Amino acid sequence: MVEFKRFTFNNGLKLIVHQDNTTPLIAVNVLYDIGARDEDPDRTGFAHLFEHLMFEGSVNVSEYDSQLQFAGGENNAFTTNDITNYYLTIPKQNIETALWLESDRMLELAFSQEKLDIQKNVVSEEYRQSYLNQPYGDVWALLRSLVYKVHPYQWPTIGKSIDHVTNATLDQVKEFFFKYYRPNNAILVLAGDIEPERAFELVNKWFGDIPSGSENKRKLPVEPGQSDPRRQVVERDVPFNEIYVAFPTGKRLEQDFYTSDLLTDILAGGSSARLMENLVKKRKIFSEANAWITGSIDKGFLAIMGKLHNNQSMKLAEELIWEEINGLKHNLVPENELQKVKNKLEASNTFAKAGILSKAMNLAYYELLGDADILNSQNEKYFSVQPSHLQNAANEIFTLSKSSVLEYHSGSKK
Amino acid sequence: MYQKPDRIQAPDLKTIESVNYIVPEKNTLINGIPVFMQKGGSQDIIKFEIVFKSGSYQQQKTLQAFATANLLSSGTVSKRSEEINQLWDFFGATLQVDAQKDIISVGFVSLAKHLEPLLNIFFEILTMPVFPDDELEIFLKNRKQKFLVNKRKVQYLARVHFAELLFGPDHPYGKVLQENDFDNLERVDLVAYHEEYLHSGNAVCFIAGNYPENIIEQVNKIAEKFTWKKVPPKVVKSFSLQSTKTSENKIVKDQALQSAIRIGKPIINRNHPDFHLLSVTNTLLGGYFGSRLMRNIRQDKGFTYGINSAIVNLLRGAYFFIGSQIGKHVKEQAVEEVYKELKILRMQPAADSEILMLKNYLTGSFLRSFDGPFMQNERLKEILLFNQDYSWFDSYLEILKKFNAEDICRTAEKYLREDSMIELTVG
Repeated sequence: MVEFKRFTFNNGLKLIVHQDNTTPLIAVNVLYDIGARDEDPDRTGFAHLFEHLMFEGSVNVSEYDSQLQFAGGENNAFTTNDITNYYLTIPKQNIETALWLESDRMLELAFSQEKLDIQKNVVSEEYRQSYLNQPYGDVWALLRSLVYKVHPYQWPTIGKSIDHVTNATLDQVKEFFFKYYRPNNAILVLAGDIEPERAFELVNKWFGDIPSGSENKRKLPVEPGQSDPRRQVVERDVPFNEIYVAFPTGKRLEQDFYTSDLLTDILAGGSSARLMENLVKKRKIFSEANAWITGSIDKGFLAIMGKLHNNQSMKLAEELIWEEINGLKHNLVPENELQKVKNKLEASNTFAKAGILSKAMNLAYYELLGDADILNSQNEKYFSVQPSHLQNAANEIFTLSKSSVLEYHSGSKK
Repeated sequence: MYQKPDRIQAPDLKTIESVNYIVPEKNTLINGIPVFMQKGGSQDIIKFEIVFKSGSYQQQKTLQAFATANLLSSGTVSKRSEEINQLWDFFGATLQVDAQKDIISVGFVSLAKHLEPLLNIFFEILTMPVFPDDELEIFLKNRKQKFLVNKRKVQYLARVHFAELLFGPDHPYGKVLQENDFDNLERVDLVAYHEEYLHSGNAVCFIAGNYPENIIEQVNKIAEKFTWKKVPPKVVKSFSLQSTKTSENKIVKDQALQSAIRIGKPIINRNHPDFHLLSVTNTLLGGYFGSRLMRNIRQDKGFTYGINSAIVNLLRGAYFFIGSQIGKHVKEQAVEEVYKELKILRMQPAADSEILMLKNYLTGSFLRSFDGPFMQNERLKEILLFNQDYSWFDSYLEILKKFNAEDICRTAEKYLREDSMIELTVG
């Protein structure tokens, strides 16, 4: 049980405090309710580029990182399709420095053309390093654009193309900041050796006078139900073929999330899972296989992947994946096998509560979903799933007409 | 009462004076294995690990240590791999195997309530593995595929070939994995490595987390059911360093969009009295986000997503390296900047503000690196491997308090001269 206190300030900022006296550190997590899904289709990659700019100085502090390092802190951040999340840990004695820095960059950034240009280059190199110059680096982008035709989940956080990032202007950056980086669009979490009342006082001091922004009502296009199978075949300079089969699933907060998560664990959650046992070990068609759900706030998708051995055909690989899928549709998962994946999730949910940083991030994310306390009820959600639920979900999710297949062929010369 | 913040002036900082070590409780298991226990943590989680004091350095054939360690769970005298995998998964744990150059670690993290059944299977796979032929075949085939994908990555090529340049192609630290290495390993090689090295006489056990009071009793009750077959190890060849004489080396990959660079040299390890200062100097140069290399090459010039430097501590030879992936069109400029920074490091004393920032950052990092029983356990393993004790950390904290800009210049002059570096570019 992760206990916490919640406060809401007049400017709309939400604060969650979790006291943990076993550590000399405090974790600070600032979640902004803005992700790649909120981007203009012609200006993708913006949320992530902006994440970089948040480290380039604010109105009263020229160097965020130096000041934090001065106080013995360490930080990082990430952007997803749903959120942008900033986090740090700092010796508890210096917590005010962290609040000073985080509040100042929420107050206002020190916008500069020069810094924008440099970070455009950095992000372009990141794009090359993580996506273009990596074998199979474009798989996620391809899958997204195959599964989503309307919803902005169709592009990855890095953006559709480098051009979108390099074309960003300083005016767009400013507009974005004042629209999304406001206290009413943020959730602040403090986890560590601090009294909740003391945390409230300090946060009120540093964040209390930051003006709130206008309310952002999301009006994202809804992805229409898929009625025909989709397929994309690409050829790349990679050594082996890979196959991906994807299906639309539900939203993060629906019960469907837990059943589909368990389905992917039955398929691939550990060395004894079905894809590993049957397709990697027995049939020896794949060198590796996996299955996962995206778990996004809006409707996500479930994907199954296999890395083919050289002498194996794509057609057979797809058939064998469907054989596994049909097993889930036609037969109940044995109780013992279901208990296995539940136990695994119970363990990983407990491991997630072991450190202050992980707790801080999770509390922030669940608060965004509606209530930080959801963190404490995850096990029950998984435990309540029965074999019949899994079979129903399998029949619901795994239909040919809703499938998207990505054939990733090796085009290299042997 | 509302207190208006002063946003211009940074809040006062407090210095961190000391770190609380979770001093391990030491004992010996019934099978003679020394055990170190560190209690703590807010959840009922236990980490159980056995570290064997040999790795790929001791192997007779490439991949021998790696395959032996990874196939421990592929079948025992009484259980097939499917059954073993089922057990791990059922109790929500994953067997973690880490086969390194100097050590092999085998362990798991579990909920306290599942410890007993997991210990049973853990000791069984360690003492009675059979290494079935078909499992070895599948393992090698799948790993070969992974290897062939890695070979397409410039950063992978830079890493392995840089070690080759530093240690020589025949040295166990420098030997580069080849495709046909996956075709030459046999079951007997695994059996031999297991009998010679993966046994109680060569092992140390670590337990960390919220373990019960009677943990030793609990472990012994299980451990006593299993005995190790051990044979004396063959004499391990000693290897001499055959570091290359050429300073600039290139592997060309025409289609790469970025080049991976490595610049570095063999260097003193953790047991040398200058090591703490070298470590501090390395951090200033490239060991944190605010380092010289990051500020210059990423934050001022935008040439790369990241550049860093590090000291790799191996038992029989440490090395230093600077590494990055850089856009091809700016690679020359970036490398020039790296050498410039190395020169500045030894020639120009750092400003007081930079020294103070480094001291505070490193003290905070030190505190973080001891946060909780699992981090504490990592630190303990490091000192034990190098035959050190907690005074090593105390002396590090002392150095952090004392060092000044001249110390950095002197250390850089002694160990990190730009003309002493070996350079490798891939891409």
